[in-house]
This record gives sequence, C-alpha cells and structure tokens, in this order.
Amino acid sequence: MNPQNSIDLTAVITTPENIQFEYRIAGPFRRLPAFLLDFAIRMMCVIAFYIVAFIGGLTVSLPVGLILFMILLVSFAFDWFYGLFFESYWNGQTPGKWLTQIRVISVDGRPINAYQATVRNFLRLADFAPMVSLEAFVSEAPPAYAIPTFLVSLICMTLSPRFQRLGDLAAGTMVVVNERSWVPSNVKLEDPRVASLSEHIPANFRMSSTLAKAIALYAERRSRISVGRRTELASHLARPLLKQFHFLADTSPDLLLCALYYREFVSKEAFSDAKRYAPPVAREPEPLMAEIAPVAESEVMPSPTPESLPPVLKTPL
Amino acid sequence: MRIAELLDKRRQGWIELERMCDSFRSVKYPFANNGSLVTRFSALYRAACTDLAMADQYQLPPASVEYLHRLVGRAHSQLYRSNQFGPARWATYISKIAPQSIFRDPCVKVAFVVFFGLFTLSAMLAWNEVRFPGFAERMLGAEQIKTLETNFDKPLDRNFDQYVMMAGFYIKHNTSIGLQCFALGPLILPSLCALAYNAVVLGASFGYMARSDVDAGDVFFQFVTAHGVFELTAIALSAASGLRLGIGLFSTGGLRRLESFRLNAERALPIILASVALFFLAAFTEGFISPSPLPYFVKACVAMLSSGLLMYYFVVLGYPRPDIERELADNEDNPWRTIGVDRATR
Repeated sequence: MNPQNSIDLTAVITTPENIQFEYRIAGPFRRLPAFLLDFAIRMMCVIAFYIVAFIGGLTVSLPVGLILFMILLVSFAFDWFYGLFFESYWNGQTPGKWLTQIRVISVDGRPINAYQATVRNFLRLADFAPMVSLEAFVSEAPPAYAIPTFLVSLICMTLSPRFQRLGDLAAGTMVVVNERSWVPSNVKLEDPRVASLSEHIPANFRMSSTLAKAIALYAERRSRISVGRRTELASHLARPLLKQFHFLADTSPDLLLCALYYREFVSKEAFSDAKRYAPPVAREPEPLMAEIAPVAESEVMPSPTPESLPPVLKTPL
Repeated sequence: MRIAELLDKRRQGWIELERMCDSFRSVKYPFANNGSLVTRFSALYRAACTDLAMADQYQLPPASVEYLHRLVGRAHSQLYRSNQFGPARWATYISKIAPQSIFRDPCVKVAFVVFFGLFTLSAMLAWNEVRFPGFAERMLGAEQIKTLETNFDKPLDRNFDQYVMMAGFYIKHNTSIGLQCFALGPLILPSLCALAYNAVVLGASFGYMARSDVDAGDVFFQFVTAHGVFELTAIALSAASGLRLGIGLFSTGGLRRLESFRLNAERALPIILASVALFFLAAFTEGFISPSPLPYFVKACVAMLSSGLLMYYFVVLGYPRPDIERELADNEDNPWRTIGVDRATR
C-alpha cells in the first residue's frame, strides 16, 4: 500500500515513534453535515438563551438593556468563538464534528493548538464566499447577503491534496476521519473440505504478497456475497491456479480460494524466526490495569511479577 | 507462529488500547497525575505501532492493517494532545510578542498611512466649504447628512438601559465588521476598499461636523471624542491584519506559496486579536462614556488616556530592542522568529 500511488484519500503521518500510519481525510460530503449540525446546535443554544434570558430577566426584573446586552454578547460569541472554543478544548472536535466522527489535526499529525483553531475559525467567512443575496430567491426579501455558497472552500478543497479549505490552508490543519472500526476477527471457515483441500495444494507453491492480500480480502468479504457471485469473482483467480495445481477443472473456485486462505493464514508457519519480533510491551511490563493506583511520576514503579502480566505478554512470540 | 494465532494474541492488547481511548474521550486531562496510566497507554500504543510497522512482513490480512491504522490514529491523538496555554505563556504573548510583531509589521504601517491619510484628507476637503464646495454632500449624500444632523441636534442624555444595550450592539456590530475585514484579507482588495471607504466617509463626517455653521457639531464631538481613538485604531488594525494575510499569497519571501500563506496567517493573528480587543474597549467607551452628559473635559481626558495607553502598548512595548529580539528569537509563539522557522514551516 504505497500512499503515493494510492487513489484513496489518506494522509501519511510519521509519528515520533518513527512509525508511519494513515489517516483517512474527510471530504466535503462528510464535513457539510458536521457544519450543519454545528449550525443547528449554535442556533438552538442562542434561541434557548434568548428564552431563558427573557423569562429569567423579566421574573427577576432585570433592566431590559442588560438583557439585550447579554443576548447581543452571547450571539456574537456564538457566531465567532464557538468553533474556536471547542476545537481548542475538545482536542480538535466540535459537537458536530464529534457526532460525524471527524477531527481537526495539524498537517504534521500533531493536535491543533489555539492559534490554529483561531485562524481557521476566523477565516470561515472567506470560505463561505461568495454570499448570495436573499433577493435572488424572493423578490420582496431585503438585499441581505446571507446565503453562503461555499464556492471558495469547494475550490480550495478540490485543488489541495488534503481536502483543506482556505482556513485550513492558512492554519496548516486538515480534517480527518476519527472513526473506530470493529476489531477484525479471524475468518470462520466451517466447511471441512477447506482443510482437506488445502493439504493437496503443492508444498512448493509460494504465494506472492499481493496474491495473499487479494485472497484475504476475498475471504473476509465472501460471507456477504451470494453464492453465484462468489463463483464468478473467484473463478478469475482460481482458473489459472487450478491448471497450475493440476486439480480437476470443476473444483469450486470459491473452495479453492478458501483453501488457499486457510493454508496461508490459518495453518502455515508464517515466520520461523520468532525471536526477531519482541513487542515493546514485553520489554517494559507494567501491572495490570485493575491494579493501577494513581501514583506520582517520581515514585518507583512496582516491579511486576509474572502473574501480574497481562495474558498477552506471558508467551514471547 | 501462525498468523491467525498471532492475531488472536495481539488482539487483546489492541482491545485494551481501544477501551482506554474510549474512556479518555470525555476526560480533559486523562494523564494528569497518573504516571502509570500513561506508561501503560504508551506501551500499548507502541506495541500497536510495531504491529503496524511489521504488518507487511507478517502479511497480516488487509482488514487488520486497516484496523491498526485507525487504532494507531486514535491513540496518537489521545497521547499527543494540544499544549495548554499557561498564564506565563499568555503573559509573554500579550506583553512582548504581540506588540513587537505589530510594531515591526510593514502592513500595519501601510494600513495606518492609508487610513489616517485618507481620513485627514477627506476631513480637510469636507471642512473647507469655500475651496471645495459640495465635497461632503457628494461623499456622504444629502440623506445621510440629514440623519447625522438629526442624531446630534439635541444634547446627549440616555438612560442606563440604553447605555448597556448600545454597548452590546457596538460589540456585536463593529467587531463583526473588523473580523470580516480579516476574513476577506486573502482577496486583498475588499480589505483595502473597506479601509479606504471607512476613512473617506468618517473623515467627511468629521470635517462636515467641524464646520462652524453646523449646529450639530458640538454634540457630535461630545459624542465621538472619548471612543474615537480606540475605534479608529481598531479599524486600521483589522484592515492591516487582512492585508498581512493577503500579502502572504503574493509576496512569498522564498517560501512555497502555501507555506508563506500559513506563516503570514500566524503573523496576522496578533494584529486581529489586538483589533478585537480595541473594538471591545471602544464599544464600552462608546456605550457608557460617550453618550453620557459628562463635561467635555472628562471625555477629552479619556481620549488622552486611551491614546497614552495605545502609545505605551504599541510603541513603548513594541519598539524593537535587541535584548527582547534575542529572547524571542526562538520562541515558538513568535511568528517572526528567526531560529527554527524552517522546522516549523516545513
């Protein structure tokens, strides 16, 4: 998966651990709902504040001027400081972004700081441009340029490699997808013929890594594909392999790919040199989560006993 | 070791990391005063990083690799959180970095020359009815002159309600215009036009009102004297910040265009923040002191005090001094830093 060649919209981050990982970048169709949600939340907050201020203010008989002052101040603050406040205090998320599971980060992968949040939120207005007047739709409406067309932001997003709007370009930020995905479980191959067929595959057959990937993708998704489509999809790969293995031509292509998957991922010794891989966890073990009491940084860490290690660490790989 | 077994083994660590990420989401400082938590978290995070780095070698299935990318991303954004700005950092920014970077900025000088130059010129032309007849009328329009005169033809008296409400209105209205000037900066022309338009219109109003035959003039100057200093400076500063932002797109100074845009946005930030602060100060002065029936002497004192304050902040604190320059040369908050700027703009 070379990120330079992939058409997928991913941003590669190199962490201080010198690991490269990919973020999926959120495009306009993911960000517009977040914006609309934020807009709705903002409006609801302001309206709720209006109602509370009027009812509360009149019952306590505050001066009308003071109530209006508070209302003007709150609506101003919500207009200009809503995104800024949440993005700097919620680690790059506003309520709308949280609901749509996206997050703002710096282009270098670090979280955004208050400067960047300020710049990208103050420049929001430029991204709305050009504004369309209400007159364009209702001829009696006042000539208020109130409807954003988002043309500037759309053009910027199209031209920039990371779907950045103008404010993002100025602040050096990007918006990434922050979803959790399901923990992948091993593929269940319940058919007993799979294991037996896999033993008949020639022992000297070495699978290339791209073939292994393709077969893994197929095996992970085949449960969601109908039987007829499985045969159709699998036969492209299976037909030359059947010829190569000298199997009967009417062997089910689906079964052959499953057998290959079983041989490659379930039954095969993937790597003999086990000592080469020592995960960092194993080298610096800590007590189990349940036993952790809040301790100061300076205190000496309790030395772990083998029993206290999490089960994953007990057997070196 | 088979891949399926390996996945089974590693999965427990991943799930634990995933659970920790979930539990941190609602916590503001999850690692504060909890050293063992952060060591456990980072150990699990490093393990997941290693798994990801070795994924190609192990030929892990693509779904697992995709999952690891997401997991490492989530954990990364939990572990490396944004730096909180402590009070000391704020103090340095407000007392040293902001005035220094505003004073040295050529865009601020240009905006001030344009604004106060046009303002003075327009005021002179509008004032001198004999040499330039009809200038004020053509600039402002007869309609607006009439509104101006009726607004100021009776002496100032408002009640407390109006004071407070108008302060709120000025904050919302004027500050929004200042921020719009900043936001439209990348297009340069709107900022400059707004600046020039304001200078000419305000100058013409001042000049017209200063004529000896205009009766409303006394009340007008009673009203504008106190907050004028803050307000006019804030207008000039907001346009300067927009200009600074826009200049970055054209004069790149050897950087790549996007980098230059980003750096100049950082430089424009103290200017717009100062402008917002001044708009707030102006709004409160305009709401409470300007319309009050206080004697003109007091209002003139307020104006002089505020000019002194601005002078102190922008000129005394902002004047380039070698010791402060050395001190700020590698400060990461300083947008004009000379050391480490290539690292930050990479």
